[in-house]
Amino acid sequence: MTFFLYSNILESLYPEIFLGFVAFGMLLMGRRVKNWMVYTTISIMALLISMILLILLDSGSQSFFGGAFVINNFGLYFALILITSSLYVSFTAGSELKHDPEIFFSIFLFVNIAMIIAAFSLNLIFIFIAFEGISVGTYILSAHGKTRRNLEASIKYFFTGVIATGFIVFGSSFYYLSTGTFNLVSVANAADIAKPSMLLALILLFVGFGFKLALVPLQQWAVDTYDGTKNPVSAFLSSGTKVLAFLIILRVFLVGFASMRTDVFYLFTIVSIITMTYGNFAALSENNLKRMLAYSSIAQAGYLILVLTVVSGSTSQFAFTVAIFAAMYYSLVYIFMKGGAFMATGAVNKEKVEINDLSGIGLKSPAFAISLGIMMLALAGIPPTAGFFAKYYLFLSLISGNLWYLAVIGILNSAISVFYYLRVIVVMFRPSSEEREFNLSNSILLPVIIGAVMSIGLSFLIFGYPYLSGIVAGLGVGA
Amino acid sequence: MFILYIFILAIIFAIISILMKKGSWEIAMVESLILMVFTSIYGLVRFSTYTGGMISTSSFAIDKSIGITFSTGMDGLSIALLFLTTVIMFAAIYTARNEKFDRRFFGLMMFTEVGLYGLLISRNFLFFYVFWEAIIIPVFLLIAIFGDSRKEKASLKFFVYTQIGSVFLLLSILTLFSYYGPSHNNVFTLNMSALLNPSFITKDITDKVPFWTYFALFGFFFAFLVKMPSFPLHSWLPDAYTSAPYPVTIVLSGAISLMGGYGFFAVLMPIASVIGAGIAWTIIGLGIFSLIYFALTAMFQTNTKKMMSYASAASMGFISISFGDGLLSSGQVSYTAFAGGIYQILAHGLIMGLVFASLYLIKQKAGTDSNLSVSGLWRDMPYISAFFLAGIMASLGLPGLAGFISEASIVLSSYYVLGAIIFLVIFGMIITASYHIWVVQKTLNGPFNENLGKIKDAKASEIALLSFLFIIILLLGVYPNLFFGPILNFVKGVI
Repeated sequence: MTFFLYSNILESLYPEIFLGFVAFGMLLMGRRVKNWMVYTTISIMALLISMILLILLDSGSQSFFGGAFVINNFGLYFALILITSSLYVSFTAGSELKHDPEIFFSIFLFVNIAMIIAAFSLNLIFIFIAFEGISVGTYILSAHGKTRRNLEASIKYFFTGVIATGFIVFGSSFYYLSTGTFNLVSVANAADIAKPSMLLALILLFVGFGFKLALVPLQQWAVDTYDGTKNPVSAFLSSGTKVLAFLIILRVFLVGFASMRTDVFYLFTIVSIITMTYGNFAALSENNLKRMLAYSSIAQAGYLILVLTVVSGSTSQFAFTVAIFAAMYYSLVYIFMKGGAFMATGAVNKEKVEINDLSGIGLKSPAFAISLGIMMLALAGIPPTAGFFAKYYLFLSLISGNLWYLAVIGILNSAISVFYYLRVIVVMFRPSSEEREFNLSNSILLPVIIGAVMSIGLSFLIFGYPYLSGIVAGLGVGA
Repeated sequence: MFILYIFILAIIFAIISILMKKGSWEIAMVESLILMVFTSIYGLVRFSTYTGGMISTSSFAIDKSIGITFSTGMDGLSIALLFLTTVIMFAAIYTARNEKFDRRFFGLMMFTEVGLYGLLISRNFLFFYVFWEAIIIPVFLLIAIFGDSRKEKASLKFFVYTQIGSVFLLLSILTLFSYYGPSHNNVFTLNMSALLNPSFITKDITDKVPFWTYFALFGFFFAFLVKMPSFPLHSWLPDAYTSAPYPVTIVLSGAISLMGGYGFFAVLMPIASVIGAGIAWTIIGLGIFSLIYFALTAMFQTNTKKMMSYASAASMGFISISFGDGLLSSGQVSYTAFAGGIYQILAHGLIMGLVFASLYLIKQKAGTDSNLSVSGLWRDMPYISAFFLAGIMASLGLPGLAGFISEASIVLSSYYVLGAIIFLVIFGMIITASYHIWVVQKTLNGPFNENLGKIKDAKASEIALLSFLFIIILLLGVYPNLFFGPILNFVKGVI
């Protein structure tokens, strides 16, 4: 199938085209209307409509451009998750960033277009372009704000990000050199692959894409950037773009490097152990709330990429299905528990929010404290939250795949992480020595409560296992 | 099915408790009383003719493809511990009549009871684990919100210790689950009775015990020994017990401590034939060491609450010893050992409930629970002193009270298994008796410490609770067959 199918590609791109029109329209409106409420409403409506379009246009599995752009249920699931994460942060974003809302939200929608395209791409060039669309957009988003801190965060992110981009281009060219194609699926069948250049491509692409997921040793930008940007932007960076980076890593290293399973296995085993251990131990001694959450999201990325070790290191079909299901489920839950936690930091009116600044909030607003507490329990993986079931499937896949030592290391890590998550809960219920003012407006309280409800409510999605395990095959790789 | 309705009732009660702004003590007290009465009636009706095995089973399939069903069932072990749970929760809530405790407190207490109830009736490993963990959260919050000045450190320590234990439990459950499917035509199940099957656990092509069996056993033992707590994994206990407010201490020592023992007898006893003699001797060694070590530590405490916390931990050593004895013996001796261990969980919980409840009254009336400054309480509070003495005597195993039955059967079976080593157990019991008597001598007898000022004896309502607990302990001491019968039938059905 190497010929181009133009006939119905346009119809499949309606959601993206629609979002693009809305984004440009916003820029035009910006001359006259400056009210953030208007832009927030428009962008929420646009995202909802694009979500409906995505579901309506779903007509089974379709492949375009010779397998470079594949629309299937697996991609659709992730596209919907990514739009959900954007929806989740938009309301708070609008009310927190009151200046130039048209610029913020049009860029935000452009990032969403790129994310939807990336969710369906199975070709390194497509992925690269979509990935750059997201990166450039998020550089601008993280610079949005009036303080030097926002700018500093964005500059750090930008410079390191550009270097990572270079690595992706370099890696893709080595990939082409050894396989003769940029497509990820067709390589899985190729028997004769030039090994040394493929190995180089593996390392270079790992650096490029691992940067966005903030895997150790490419993590340091994340802590500074999450700390320096506005809360909704850090929520979006640490949930939406992280899930997307995870999806791309799944695609590239499981589908594209299917012929090098052992190398992928060793690489990701080492990286995941280092990443989760580093993230957890760094978070243990961190007193700044946002930096603590940033380190914890590094640790969470370490858990997430355990999925790659299962799929590449085990031959069991059951382990494979459970692992990919765990990846899908974890991504969905992660958006709410992590995004909600980041947005909750807005409750304290300070530039650098210490964990101790939350003391006394449990008495002022029990709803806030209980909701944030539930999200912390979900991040720590305590039942009956959805965070537990996500970890449950993850460790189940590790054990079914005979990877004992990884399961033990992962589970000990998650036991260590309990310590710093619970510290937040303990502090919240401690009476404060001084009188503090908290910002408990609807723009803070609402997303936090939604996050908590979803962190509990999504645990019912374990009933969806039979349905979701059916679309696991859409990844394009089997055990 | 009836037990399931009581469980649903408990959930409704917990939600009511956390929502009601006024009269939270009265509501919670009545709720826990109703649960206790219903559970007792259920136990009397269904277990008077119990002959072993599982009764009152029910099952709701949630996801058959990966074996998740909400299945419940009762046996002689669960009914004994369920009775203990409801009595202890009632006693703890009854004593908590204090301005300081609001609806958060009673709501969390009721959620603890829901968790314990769910744990004891679950017959599916996923729900077993979910309830196992769900108990920790309300207890953690109870210590973290209502504890004394060291509550933050104590509550975190409690949570992290038990969490590390729990994650190993989860790993073991996942291990059994993922090895069951491939050897049973890809039928996956989390049912406890299916997974805890010795012939499946030792199944291997080469007839050797496979690696994952040891892995699973290690996880189970680790998790249960943390909760017990046994010697090297106990350091959360003194902090948690002493910084928790007294009603929570009653729950910790009476109801939360049953979890470790329940794990031993519900999860590990069915696969006893897989556990080798080496592991059994290790368990006995840990039990004896815990008994002596905690007893010696208790001797040197100046705070009576802390002393009784260590005494509680020392009594749990008997459960490890009895479990090891049961593994190493067979026939009647092993029945006696296992049944004695289960009876010890029950007796220990009730006795600690009485001890801490009367200690709480002493603390309230005399203003301190340090045994250096309290003396001669007989003069001004004879009733409370009498019940405290009764609790202490039951704790050291006086014949006629509940503790004697279990300790006698454990010592008896230990004699068959351990031979001369039994003198270590006796040595531990002598130390236990000595500091128990010493604390009575110090606080109750002797000249009254006039610095305490004028102190009052208990009110009628407080005496009612203490006598209620004492009557149960006495009843279990003079008519042990009430629970020993079902327990023995349960043990015979499993082994």
